[in-house]
Amino acid sequence: MSADTEIKWDGKTYPYVPSDPLHVDPTITFHDAIDRDLEPIAFEVIRYAMWNINVEQGNTLLRVSGSPIAAYGHDFNPCLLDEKGNFVFFGPFLQYLSSASGSAVKWTLEYRSANPGIQDGDIFLTNDPWVGATHQTDVCVYAPLFWEGQLFCWFANTLHQWDVGGTTPGSFNPISQDVFWEAGCIPPVKIVEQGILRKDLEEEYIRRSRMPELVALDLRAQITACNVARERMQQLIGKYGPEAVKGTMKKLQDNSETAFLNRLETIPDGVWTEQSWIELNRAGDRSVYRNVLRLTKSGNKLIFDNEGTDPQIGSINCASIAWKGAIASMISAQMLFDQMFVIEGAYRHIDFKPVPGTITCATFPAGVINAPPTVLLQTIGLAGLIISRMLYCSSDDELRKEVQSCMGNLMYPIDAMAGIDQRGRPYASFLLDPVGAALGALSWRDGVNTGGWPWDLQSTMPNVEDNELFYPLLYLWRKEIPNSGGSGKFRGGNSAELAFVLNDTESMTHYTTGGHTIIPGAGLFGGDPTSRTRFMLIKDAKVRETAAGDARMPGSLDELGGERLHIAPKTGDVVQGVDDVFSLAWTSASGYGDPLERNPDRVVRDIADANMTAAWARERTGVCLNEQGALDREKTDDLRSKLVAQRLAAANDRQAALESRPETVSDRVVSEGLALVGADDDAVYVCRKCRTVIQRADKNYKSGCIKRTTAVQEVGLAPIDPRLFIDDKMVYREYFCPGCGLLFQGDFTRMEDADIWDIRLFSTTGNTG
Amino acid sequence: MKYYCGVDTGGTFTDCAIIDETGAITIAKRPSTPDDYSVGVFDALGACAGRLGIAIEDLLVNTEHLFLGTTVGTNALLQMKGARTGLITTRGHKDSLLIMRSAGRSIGLPIEQLLHVSRHQKPTPLIPRKLIKEVSERIDWKGDVFLNLNENEAEEAIQSLVEEGVDAIGICLLWSIVNPDHEKLLKDMVGRIAPDLFISCSHELIAKRGEYERTVGTAINCFIGPVMKSYIEKVESKAASLGFAKQILVLQITGGVAPAAEIVRSPLYTISSGPSAGVTGSSFLADTMGYDNAIITDMGGTSFETGIIYDGQPLTASETVINQYVFSMPRLDVESIGSGGGSVLWVEPISGTLKVGPESAGADPGPACYGNGLMPTVTDANLVLGYLNPDNFLGGKIHLDRDKSVEAIRPLAKQMGLDVLEVAAGAVRIVETKMAELIRQMTLQRGLDPRDFVLFSYGGAGPTHACEYARELGIRHVVIPLGTISSTWSAFGTLCADILHVYEKSELLSPPFDLEYINRTFEELESKGLQQLEEDGVERNRIEFRRFLEMKYKMQIHQLEVPVPSGLLDAAGLEQVLVRFEEIYESFYGKGSAYREAGVEIGLFKVNAVGRMVKPQLPELGVDEESLVTGSREIFWRDGDELRDTPIYSGTALGTGVVVSGPAVVEYPETTVVVPPFAEGVVDRSGSFVIELDGKVA
Repeated sequence: MSADTEIKWDGKTYPYVPSDPLHVDPTITFHDAIDRDLEPIAFEVIRYAMWNINVEQGNTLLRVSGSPIAAYGHDFNPCLLDEKGNFVFFGPFLQYLSSASGSAVKWTLEYRSANPGIQDGDIFLTNDPWVGATHQTDVCVYAPLFWEGQLFCWFANTLHQWDVGGTTPGSFNPISQDVFWEAGCIPPVKIVEQGILRKDLEEEYIRRSRMPELVALDLRAQITACNVARERMQQLIGKYGPEAVKGTMKKLQDNSETAFLNRLETIPDGVWTEQSWIELNRAGDRSVYRNVLRLTKSGNKLIFDNEGTDPQIGSINCASIAWKGAIASMISAQMLFDQMFVIEGAYRHIDFKPVPGTITCATFPAGVINAPPTVLLQTIGLAGLIISRMLYCSSDDELRKEVQSCMGNLMYPIDAMAGIDQRGRPYASFLLDPVGAALGALSWRDGVNTGGWPWDLQSTMPNVEDNELFYPLLYLWRKEIPNSGGSGKFRGGNSAELAFVLNDTESMTHYTTGGHTIIPGAGLFGGDPTSRTRFMLIKDAKVRETAAGDARMPGSLDELGGERLHIAPKTGDVVQGVDDVFSLAWTSASGYGDPLERNPDRVVRDIADANMTAAWARERTGVCLNEQGALDREKTDDLRSKLVAQRLAAANDRQAALESRPETVSDRVVSEGLALVGADDDAVYVCRKCRTVIQRADKNYKSGCIKRTTAVQEVGLAPIDPRLFIDDKMVYREYFCPGCGLLFQGDFTRMEDADIWDIRLFSTTGNTG
Repeated sequence: MKYYCGVDTGGTFTDCAIIDETGAITIAKRPSTPDDYSVGVFDALGACAGRLGIAIEDLLVNTEHLFLGTTVGTNALLQMKGARTGLITTRGHKDSLLIMRSAGRSIGLPIEQLLHVSRHQKPTPLIPRKLIKEVSERIDWKGDVFLNLNENEAEEAIQSLVEEGVDAIGICLLWSIVNPDHEKLLKDMVGRIAPDLFISCSHELIAKRGEYERTVGTAINCFIGPVMKSYIEKVESKAASLGFAKQILVLQITGGVAPAAEIVRSPLYTISSGPSAGVTGSSFLADTMGYDNAIITDMGGTSFETGIIYDGQPLTASETVINQYVFSMPRLDVESIGSGGGSVLWVEPISGTLKVGPESAGADPGPACYGNGLMPTVTDANLVLGYLNPDNFLGGKIHLDRDKSVEAIRPLAKQMGLDVLEVAAGAVRIVETKMAELIRQMTLQRGLDPRDFVLFSYGGAGPTHACEYARELGIRHVVIPLGTISSTWSAFGTLCADILHVYEKSELLSPPFDLEYINRTFEELESKGLQQLEEDGVERNRIEFRRFLEMKYKMQIHQLEVPVPSGLLDAAGLEQVLVRFEEIYESFYGKGSAYREAGVEIGLFKVNAVGRMVKPQLPELGVDEESLVTGSREIFWRDGDELRDTPIYSGTALGTGVVVSGPAVVEYPETTVVVPPFAEGVVDRSGSFVIELDGKVA
């Protein structure tokens, strides 16, 4: 990672980066003999069995734990790793956990193989974010499997725990200043010694929790899952022999590597960049922080870095292990979907080079407990966007179908609730409804309303009735938000909102952690941005009285009386009383491509299905309906022309005459609106719609565009006054073709910031699309 | 002579099995008639009557019970050809059906599709948003009324749906399972305003917590309601016109039957009931043969389905996923994977390895050997290996072209550097591994050891592979049920079903438990059952109740079903139930996983109200020691990796007691039993073919 000899990437101050090769105590011998002539049928049979062993590990964990966090949030994942902790299979659940378990195993090999040693039947546990966890509540439990005295492979599973201690119930901490305000970190300990659960360590582990019985139950689930998988693997090895099984593992990694390289080969070298903003570093703060993710593709290598990201601060940081997992989850989803997500093959060709001391590569003792809902998820969103930009340049049309705009909930709006439940028992939990995020727009199709995330393939929202049974609340509504997915050539999935009053309790305390309450997530290639998160308390709405009086349940904020209070994305002290309503709206996915390019027939359908309102459709897409609700083509054309004219009118600072280039077979597609034309010094970016030359290839195309700057509060659905929470002046900047007014991209930046150089191709020869 | 008739309507064929009071079985198979499925029912009954040498009227006049298994509702749902349906729900919650708990974008997808996020999509809405209306009302988790039903809004909602021209209205309100008053009021209003519409209320269909799954159940019930009503009424009136005066009983997803009148109200109970008949029939046969534990497998053209009978009872599940929709309802637990005769073989380009499925060649173009295309399939592999007889496939209805199979597989062989035979043998091995893996998941993941089971195999493609996937799991005995009638096994299965009504009450109870309340709740559920069974005309001495509690540890989601003894439960009895819960828990999740300190809770009361039906007398075949070898052909056997000349037997000609030693192939009209070199089979007295693996038949 760095030549700086001062920095020790050993998981103490700096996050752990494995040595290459690993420094392992010589008492450990590895099984690495493989059957090189593995016949293809045997490979397929063993592969299938191995995948199922890992699935079984996950199913066991899910059922034995039975915790709502696992069942609904799918906040867990099982994995199978080879003898040195390299990934073989990673389960189809939460993907961002993927780098942590490998890191935990490798660290254990390097720092625990001499003392206390690694033996058959041992099981280790850690929740240390600098070693092998995304944050302290994601506890990783992992077990080696030995075959005839040699270390053969590992099983690992990570599961989010209800509460592992710290100063706030549920362990998320919006007021944390550093890790000492949070749940403690446990570097790897041998919790099971040659088959026996160590009582002393178990008690030391569960003692810190407010819910020790549940943590103990989950620990059993995690251990059982490892044991089940280990036993089945032993049977598999017994049947096919260790060389055939190990040969299958290596071949899986090799195949995935080949597939990954084949895909890279279709992509020209270049650099793609995206940034987003984190609001407030802890409760009481009023600033915003920049999270930058940059992808460089050079030959058969991808390099991810975070150059330009703000220094670590408050409670919004993650260690680089979590950051790496965030990126890997989108690599799997977008580039390894047909390789059973075997990430190891791709890892061989990816360098991660984060700058330490930043919010995405924090050093100990920065506060990291809030990483997953904040900076980690946001980094997944950024990774999806830059990988999409890169894939769009591919010459492979099929690969281009994986291009997607920003997912919904690129920060998870944590609403941690605590109080006394309807049965008189204390409780602490958080709302799992926002797992019903939204899938982004694709380059060929709209996103999916409340369709979850691309990095968690099957998350499931709890039923309203489940939440009302477990917690003392009564929902007024839970519904999708029309228009929230914005618009675009393809629109993002709409998100949803909820509101509840208390039931059978006097009060409830809310702790929030999240973001994008002021600054939305970006769209792709001119698509609309995401909607905003909104935490809100409506004081003295007195729903019981008014509903009874009107014989009507309120169905929206507009139907509520009382005083509306926006809750900041980091708070630790909001108390809801019996007359108050709590409401949460989460962010949608963003759009893809210029909204004025949206097929009007699609818009008519959007309106008929109540996914968009007619007014929004008119404003964003220029589509007008007649009185019968059918498309009014003439008015639509007219309005669209006017909207384009408004864009072009913003070109007051552009003097130079426009030139254009004809289409040639060697045009290289760069984005939805741009192509690269010509070679070497003569290469230029051209608008794909009107063929106007935008800029030289070696410059930021945005410097050749018409720009329009809008204050952040005026953008998107549900405008909000930024001064509620932040002091920074944020703007939304759009970049249009000076020839035809086509929208290429819209970015959120500080007023004084330079244009983000989001697309920069190195070679001007390469793919033709 | 008295008759019991079972008719099973599938998408392609309608099968009929008739058993008379002597136990003689008559079967027939006729094409289904999608324009009016009731026509096929009588075609099949008529065909059977013809075989009995009597008129259909004579058959029906003397029929004691007519059992129907049907996929009419399931097909209407899968093809989205149902009624125009409206839904009324609690204000603020109309989007529940569209949000689909978010999981609707991927639930039920096979793994290859699950991993491909950019292809995730929610299915077409069962009910479009504009036909979902909200009404002001609210009941809380205790059943307390937060807000009374606003009848003006309700009337407006109903009127607007009527104006939209709906054929059916579903009603699903929050917490109607604990207090159904508002749903009942709404139902009355719909009945008054639009008496001709099909109506269903969620609390009448599903007793479990979870408004999404209840809404789906209600919506599906309405969506298929009018179609099913018309189908059943047609069958009823036609049967009556032919002289049938007894009850029509329809098979449900629980594996039990219910009187037609109830199915007309609740056709939801038939959704995905297709495999239930086979499991029910197998359960009966296993019991007759003295097997407590059986793994039931059915392999057809597109899928492989498996169910489990443990300790004499089929295992059950509580959720059904269909078309990415989920509803909760007790059902026989039948899991399936997309491995069938039509599963397509292909080579994954990166790894150069052979894959089987999940794509299927279906019936059209079908396997390459059908002659309509060159898609290599499992059936082609079986033909190449010699397992199938090209001139005797599906009773000789289709001639198979082996050359086409070879031609289709050859490009794969070339890609992999293997010969055609090796690829075919590899494909069969892969598909058998997948089937074994599914069975392994169904047993081992529940703490059951497959070696303690016999394996039943039927369906067109099952018996060809059964010995291999059974052996993979260490199973010793394979049963091909009632050999000659195994092709109409589902129709026969309906004849073995009991009347079954399941009553549930979803309620979360924490210790200390109120025994009086528990007893009272069970009694209430049983009295509902008694009333229904008496309405069904079941005699008192044929009525049985089975009690269960679903239990879990505090704050867990997943509940386990624990049997509860009938009669008054006392403290000692309850303690035994708790002990039993922990035993079941540990058998599922492993020794040491139970943890009483976490607190045990009750989540659901359940009573199965059973009306025991008269069961078929199985036929007794005469002993006929003569074996009938019809010829021989070259067949590939894995042990020697070679083609070997192998004797072929005609299944229909085999008499009781005949021993067939492997390697051999037994051909039945609709299926082919492969008896590998390590196996030996014998025809038992009922005509079932019982195969012993790695040993000699007794």
